[in-house]
Amino acid sequence: MHIPENYLSPASCAVMTAAAVPVWVHSVKKVKEVLPRDKIAMIGVGAAFSFLSMMFNVPLVGGTTGHAVGGTLIALLFGPEAACLGVSVALLLQAVLFGDGGILAFGANCFNMAFVLPFAGYGIYSLIMKGTSADARPGRAYAAAAIGSYVGICAAAFCCAVEFGIQPELFHDAAGNALYCPYDLSIAIPAMMIPHMAVAGVVEAAFTVAVYAFVRKTAPDMTYEAIRDRLPVREESKKGRFPVYALVAVLIAAVPLGLLATGTAWGEWGADEIAETAETGSPLGYTPKGMEDGFSLDVLMPDYTLGEVSEAVAYIISAVTGTALLIIIFKLLSIPLKGKNAANAS
Amino acid sequence: MQPMLPEWMKTSEEYVPPGDGGAFYYRTLRSLGGIMSRLRVESGREGRCSLPAWLKLLVLILYILLMSLARDRLCIMGLAAAGLMVLAMMPAKDIWSVLRPALLAGGLAAVLFAPAVIMDPGRLSNSLMVVVKVIMSVTAVGIFNRRTQWNHVTAALRRFRVPGVVIFLIDITFRFIVLLGNLMTEMLTALQLRSVGRNRKKYDSVGGIMGTVFLRGSEMNREMYEAMQCRGFTDDYKGL
Repeated sequence: MHIPENYLSPASCAVMTAAAVPVWVHSVKKVKEVLPRDKIAMIGVGAAFSFLSMMFNVPLVGGTTGHAVGGTLIALLFGPEAACLGVSVALLLQAVLFGDGGILAFGANCFNMAFVLPFAGYGIYSLIMKGTSADARPGRAYAAAAIGSYVGICAAAFCCAVEFGIQPELFHDAAGNALYCPYDLSIAIPAMMIPHMAVAGVVEAAFTVAVYAFVRKTAPDMTYEAIRDRLPVREESKKGRFPVYALVAVLIAAVPLGLLATGTAWGEWGADEIAETAETGSPLGYTPKGMEDGFSLDVLMPDYTLGEVSEAVAYIISAVTGTALLIIIFKLLSIPLKGKNAANAS
Repeated sequence: MQPMLPEWMKTSEEYVPPGDGGAFYYRTLRSLGGIMSRLRVESGREGRCSLPAWLKLLVLILYILLMSLARDRLCIMGLAAAGLMVLAMMPAKDIWSVLRPALLAGGLAAVLFAPAVIMDPGRLSNSLMVVVKVIMSVTAVGIFNRRTQWNHVTAALRRFRVPGVVIFLIDITFRFIVLLGNLMTEMLTALQLRSVGRNRKKYDSVGGIMGTVFLRGSEMNREMYEAMQCRGFTDDYKGL
């Protein structure tokens, strides 16, 4: 679901970024207001879950691949606003360090995966859980989490498909060849939606429920309900961070499994691949002009690889780097707030 | 009869000392002293299950050596990932104090490489690798400093058979730089307060200040050494 560079016109990118900015501003304000200082540092762990879940590629119908996003999971743990910030920072790292998702398309990617996904997912969850709490009805909470995350990722995929699909209508040359993404709505929407509804959504729901249940059992103070309602922290749960970190370590060790799925995700072909794609039945036959001479950036580890080295090793190194950076970034973000909270307390 | 204030008491006086040479040298010495007194040894804290200091020192040296010798991306990124992982486990405040100098050094490296990248944009990733090397090496030293008590470092140096005199010198130097910096700033302030008006011989006192600092330093050094000997110090750092 990461929109690469040059699949959207610069104008579309600007519009999507403009749409994402107010969401970021609102999220920063709300997170500062609601979350206590140590929880802000913990958003990094949530963002690490999201980052890692995006590395587990699963094969989808039609020979493409997809992945979970984990945005609803962070929303369940720290609230949708924190999820927005967490996923945004994870997407930024992916774009800047690993070339996954474009720099220009960063705003659009954030709109889909950091705004639509967690807010839709958490909205559905709280709708289902209205009038009851996860502690009272854990079964219902897990079902709500599953439905919420499923709807969330499908909504995000739909937004992504629409952004792809309007490109050929808006931007084409005199010969009718598209300048950017060549497939219109009638192809993009089914191509994105069917695999996401059939496979990726299920994976997302399973991942969300599994991790949510694990965290609720091992570190109950880490859920958004506990934070929002300011439930008293049980003493033993303070030690509960260790299993959470252990789960992150296990996920890191398991990321090479994500390499088993070969093939490129729909809408993430390289400029050299796109002419051979045959979404309409026959090969496209040309490379859209905007992709041939578009903006591109050298990154440290393009596509999570390091030259000739075995993919699995490079993938694990990428996972460790990304996870560590996310945790460091959110720990650093919690510092200025610490001063503020201390001043309020005294 | 009303008391009359004499005329001269009614006018306000603003005495501005006449411009005098020596501002440059005062400022230089003062900033030198300021920097010296800020150079205090960071007091590292060790966790409950911290590795022994000599092992950490060995790992640090190996890390920096490997980092500077590594040429392929796998090695560099692997080492960087390991370093970042250790850093991520530290408390937020320590992370910032470790990262700030590292980012400064990285920024400096980036500035140095900027012309090369502008001339040949194809080399960008190579230059980025060097920046990563610089940042991670400085980070590694920072982590070591934060996570190791100073007396354990000296013990570790002794274990590596560094002569006791050398360790003694390093130890004393780090402690005395701060003291001497303070001493210098204090003397400058005293001198400035005492020299009102025009003084043509300002530069004569430079040598005086530096000489006094040196003399006081060696005196303090001798006194401390004697005090240490009185307390049973035998030029050996093993037992500390």
